[in-house]
Amino acid sequence: MIHCHNLQWGPGGRALTPPLNLHLAPASLTGVIGANGCGKSSLLKVIAGIQQPLRGAIELTVPRLGGVAYLVQQQALDRQFPIKLHDLVSAGLWRSPLNRQQRQTRLEQALADWGLLDLQQHSLQALSGGELQRALLARLSLTDAQVLLLDEPEAALDEHGLVLLWQHIQRWHTQGRTQIVVSHSISNMSQHLDNALLVSRSGCIFAPIRELVGQRSSLEQVA
Amino acid sequence: MSLELLWSPFVEFAFMRRALVGGVALAVSAGPLGVFLVLRRLSLMGDAIAHGILPGAAVGFWLFGLSLPALTLGGLVAGLGMAGIAAWVTRRTGLREDASLAAIYPISLASGVLLLGLAGNKLDLLHLLFGSVLAVDPPTLNGMLLVSTGSLLLLALIYRWLLMDSLDPLFLAGVSRFGPLAYGLFLTLVVLNLVVGFQAIGALMVVGLMMLPAAAARFWSRHLPRMLLLAALTGAVCVWLGLLLSYYANLPSGPCIVLLAGLAYVCSVLLGPLNGLLRRQPHLSPAH
Repeated sequence: MIHCHNLQWGPGGRALTPPLNLHLAPASLTGVIGANGCGKSSLLKVIAGIQQPLRGAIELTVPRLGGVAYLVQQQALDRQFPIKLHDLVSAGLWRSPLNRQQRQTRLEQALADWGLLDLQQHSLQALSGGELQRALLARLSLTDAQVLLLDEPEAALDEHGLVLLWQHIQRWHTQGRTQIVVSHSISNMSQHLDNALLVSRSGCIFAPIRELVGQRSSLEQVA
Repeated sequence: MSLELLWSPFVEFAFMRRALVGGVALAVSAGPLGVFLVLRRLSLMGDAIAHGILPGAAVGFWLFGLSLPALTLGGLVAGLGMAGIAAWVTRRTGLREDASLAAIYPISLASGVLLLGLAGNKLDLLHLLFGSVLAVDPPTLNGMLLVSTGSLLLLALIYRWLLMDSLDPLFLAGVSRFGPLAYGLFLTLVVLNLVVGFQAIGALMVVGLMMLPAAAARFWSRHLPRMLLLAALTGAVCVWLGLLLSYYANLPSGPCIVLLAGLAYVCSVLLGPLNGLLRRQPHLSPAH
């Protein structure tokens, strides 16, 4: 689904890691871990096609347009923007081939799934950080994208929100969507997913997450 | 005072009628465009573009004399060119967009003034900057009506993309290729409205007609269609009352119209139900 060949990336022309070779199968669920500034978010941006790689190549077997959904870390949405939560979430159906009635049903389902039914008439200004994050996740869940890139999706979510999030990640997994999740919460990740990519200056390691947890501290000291 | 005073100048004089119809048409399309500029945090873009128009209009005048198509085309090319150069510098060098625009527009203004000097000063600079109702002859009026109608139609057509591109361009880029095109078309409409407006109310005054009703609308509604409607209506009423004021008090029309729009803005800042200064609002949360 996602193939990286000798991929190097980073801001300002400076490669953050040695060349990365990585092949992620369809329906795989992969975590990305690493210290601040190691290039986790930049990697997602390169996969999403927002940033150009410095060297190497990246191939996706789905078209980027409509095939990849990307949840940005730390939303910079203008809270004064005159739009209601309902309209924000319904944008997830942008490319949907469904008819009006089916769209309405799916939208209501998504709002209910993410506990947003009571908030749908609220403006963005009236939402808390966690509520906005749930709205963005609901929008993402409405897309038909086969590749989901989640950059710190746990940000601002309370305990209930976290339960919803990991339930959905499991559900998307069983639906056969390919997911990459950047997170700092190793405990949550090792509970819910198998493999992870450790990104660091001395090299990237793709391995079962349990193996990485032990190595992580020693590797970062070396780096 | 008889109510007849509110319309008798327009009944009596054809040039007043043309100024009214053209001005109202322009206000109705410029206001909604201004609302989108405010939403995109590009409120100063209108000002910059209005200055950017000047050298193009001057070249048009130099080559073809006082012809509306030449002035419009020159203004359009220069206005879009300035916006384009500013955007290009920003993208290539990382200079902030506002700094890039602020650097471009004094250059345009100065070169426009010099070009007008070279053209022999037959075109009054003050007229170009501040306009005159007398300038709205039938061809100008047709141009204004055409631009206004076209703007509203096109805006309705690209509304969905423009809205999402203003709020969350990254998301839109993931689901549609149309975002940058919608933005480009929108900027073209802004330039076109400023260009046709500069004849009637002046290159600098028309910015006021675009931005003041838009800024005022934000204090009355958080519902975008309502904000667009409100900005259009406010602008139209200001044109009408402004023309009357200029007629009866024998004042230049552009500043009258814009100062009335300014009055509407000040009243909105003070009295508007959404964060107006004199309305107590407990939740003024900072922008994120």
